[in-house]
Amino acid sequence: MAERLAKFTSAMDRLYEFDREPVTPDKLQSGGKFAGLFAGEHVAATEFVIGAFFVLHGVTARDLLLGLFAGNLLAVLSWTLICAPIGVRTRLTLYWYLRKIAGPGVTFIYNIANAFLYCILAGAMISVSATAVGLLLGIKVPALNAVLPTSAGWVAIAFVLGAAFTAMAILGFEKLSRFAQIASPWIFFAFFAGALAALSKLGVGTDLSNLWQVATSRIWNGVAEAGQEKFGFWHVLFFAWFCNLAMHVGLSDMAIFRYARKWTYGLYTAFGMFPGHMLAWLCSGVMVAAVGRQMDPGLMAFEAVGAAGIGAVLLAGWTTANPTLYRAGLALQTVTPNWPRWKITLLAGTATTVLACFPVFFLKLLDYVAIYGLVLMPIGAIVFAEHWVFPLLRMEQFKAEKKGWSFNWAVLAVWPGTIVACFLLPIHLYFKWLPGWFIALVSYTALMAARRTK
Amino acid sequence: MSDRVFRFVSRGLALISLGVCLAAPVLFFLGRIAERTYKTGFLLASIGWFLLATAWATARKRRPGN
Repeated sequence: MAERLAKFTSAMDRLYEFDREPVTPDKLQSGGKFAGLFAGEHVAATEFVIGAFFVLHGVTARDLLLGLFAGNLLAVLSWTLICAPIGVRTRLTLYWYLRKIAGPGVTFIYNIANAFLYCILAGAMISVSATAVGLLLGIKVPALNAVLPTSAGWVAIAFVLGAAFTAMAILGFEKLSRFAQIASPWIFFAFFAGALAALSKLGVGTDLSNLWQVATSRIWNGVAEAGQEKFGFWHVLFFAWFCNLAMHVGLSDMAIFRYARKWTYGLYTAFGMFPGHMLAWLCSGVMVAAVGRQMDPGLMAFEAVGAAGIGAVLLAGWTTANPTLYRAGLALQTVTPNWPRWKITLLAGTATTVLACFPVFFLKLLDYVAIYGLVLMPIGAIVFAEHWVFPLLRMEQFKAEKKGWSFNWAVLAVWPGTIVACFLLPIHLYFKWLPGWFIALVSYTALMAARRTK
Repeated sequence: MSDRVFRFVSRGLALISLGVCLAAPVLFFLGRIAERTYKTGFLLASIGWFLLATAWATARKRRPGN
């Protein structure tokens, strides 16, 4: 038994990658792999919720189309011009690069925060998958204002799914990534099929002549549901832009772009953004309109696609919770240097499973996504300043590493300071991050310059 | 069957399955098939896609040089 256990843990240890060293040239990946990765990752279970919420928030069809196009374009440009160049130049994950800038103490705090936020996101994906299983077992999806678990059945489903997803993530991230590559085109087809079938049910004619009329009167009719805030063009644009803020402006996707041959590989994110964050959101909006605006991804997909729809919701949750768990594991790895990957993934998966039991994270997903990006964004601005602005101003880089600081106090002051400043700004939650990024950039540069003068 | 033929056949059939996944809702939308037929067709084509695409991916991985 002990021997088998040793073999098992030894096999798990081999899953360890070379996260702590710059990626070597022989490990760089082709553009096609990046296109596949982004296409798979951004047609996620959460798309069933986000697109549907735009309908519930009373967005008009015109505002939605223009806002999604502009916002996703800005997101692709953020990856290409901000995240990818730093990832390609350093070949390091953000965590290890931040260690040079902010010191291991700050990295520790950042990684705890990051891992916790990733776990909530993965938990939301599991919750969405749980709605599909709940439909099969006759367990009601929590109401829009639910915060705590609403039934033992809901908790049981979330728990079983969380445990299953975690177990599969432990057994092999690589194998699951390959499976995700197979699943992602099909999931997208399921969105498309569901929307097309739902359009038919909503009364769109076979010649599509009344498509716009149905879209503006029965789907995105500009009327918000009771208790939901009314959204317009700017809300949609900013949401599409900041939806992955932690990944692009927040630089967390340096972990991916360190494998890119060129910074222009950032443009491959368009393969994720436009099918996933534009077409899939439009499709889920159509599907929710066809079920009388009920926020129940399992029901939406089942009504529109049948039994395969249930599979689509489950698989979308599984294949996207997997890389999120992987990222959470990466974040925790710096905190637990001697732990093998499987143990870290188990820790992240357990936290995720507990969080998945709370429906608030998927029912308030839009606000959570905004807060999640806002909390991590200042670190991206700080790294951007250190990487690009400091050399321009002839300021010394990586002082924390050179002087052996555990904490770079400028980072520790700017990070929470920016978050507080953002929350005090008298603008909508969705718009706060943009001025916040400049606040962080300027204040960190100024503080470090003042330190140099002293 | 040689590995090369297997790869070719599994890839072709996988893509046909995905094509059926696309065709079924289009035919339903156009009123050519009933809702039940569309949903059953989509389900069977989906199962076909996952089986055949997995076989294709596995065969591709086995190819010398990979």
